[in-house]
Amino acid sequence: MKLITHNMLTSKCMKGVTVGYPLKIQAVDVKTSEVDFNPEFISRLIPKVDWNVLCEAAESVGFLDDLPRELIENYENDVDFLKKAHRVLLEVDIINGELVCPETGRKFPINNGIPNMLLNEDEV
Amino acid sequence: MSLPTPIYDLKQFDSVYEPSEDTFLFIDALEADLEYIHSLRPSCILEVGSGSGIVITSLARHFQTQCLFFATDINPVACLCTKQTAYLNNVVVHCTNMNLYCNFKSIFDIILFNPPYVCTEDSEIKPGINRSWAGGRDGRIIIDQFLSQLKLFLSDSGVCYMVALKENKPYEIMATMKVLGFNSCIIKERRILGEHLFVIRFIKEGNLK
Ligand SMILES: C[S@@+](CC[C@H](N)C(=O)[O-])C[C@H]1O[C@@H](n2cnc3c(N)ncnc32)[C@H](O)[C@@H]1O
Repeated sequence: MKLITHNMLTSKCMKGVTVGYPLKIQAVDVKTSEVDFNPEFISRLIPKVDWNVLCEAAESVGFLDDLPRELIENYENDVDFLKKAHRVLLEVDIINGELVCPETGRKFPINNGIPNMLLNEDEV
Repeated sequence: MSLPTPIYDLKQFDSVYEPSEDTFLFIDALEADLEYIHSLRPSCILEVGSGSGIVITSLARHFQTQCLFFATDINPVACLCTKQTAYLNNVVVHCTNMNLYCNFKSIFDIILFNPPYVCTEDSEIKPGINRSWAGGRDGRIIIDQFLSQLKLFLSDSGVCYMVALKENKPYEIMATMKVLGFNSCIIKERRILGEHLFVIRFIKEGNLK
């Protein structure tokens, strides 16, 4: 699971959960894998990302490095910044671990890099 | 512009829907609509119920790094298979095991769904391979769940493509979607042995593109 996916996932479809966002990450196995870098696309993607949630997620798995916690101005033209954003959004990969609902503590397993968000019948 | 069929290998994945006529019709329909899809400049594309993953992978190969690709399936083995298909074709598809799109907080520019559309008893909708085809009454149980929430997950200028069967009553589906604020049209139709298949395109009303 890449951090872009984490940025988009909630547990709000669970019974009794109102926001369910952001999910906490408990990572067991984290890798990075190289993905082709497209600066123009990354700058189009950034406005759709919850930047605080991204930075906290990156920090919690030990990959914040020197990514600025505040979005910088004119990032469209800052290739160095876009490269760092690309890395945390698309290259850091949680292979095994858990996502945890912030309201109920319900754990969702991540195996082989795939989060399992399925609920039991009595949870919906 | 064309969408060649990606490489895939289902050997290790016996409970995954094998790409069939409906799958290939779906890819043909997307191929025919590619110019329109380009004009939307999509940044996030989602396939619900990706199965083998060849539909979303064909788009990922086409758009490469200009776009992100997401896939969900209720069958965990299908998620693994989709991930492998993307890998075999040198692209990335972000897979999550979930029911439809219920765990997404964000919206998508393009949403694709080739649903379980076969008319069956509701009780036949059960885990594993059954989930890939069993659609309950009129084949509409999963289709209706999907369409009733579409508005929440599709961007205002976005587009949704869905496969349906004649028995699903596509014209009735389109009338219902009108009430929910969508304009629909049939972009592809094919009669194959025992099945009359449609690909329907849904666009939010007020979207002039
Ligand atoms: C007809 S198959 C299509 C598979 C693939 N997209 C294709 O075109 O070959 C339907 C797929 O939807 C999945 N599915 C069924 N119900 C679902 C649900 N509620 N949420 C997510 N996926 C579902 C099935 O597991 C299956 O992989």
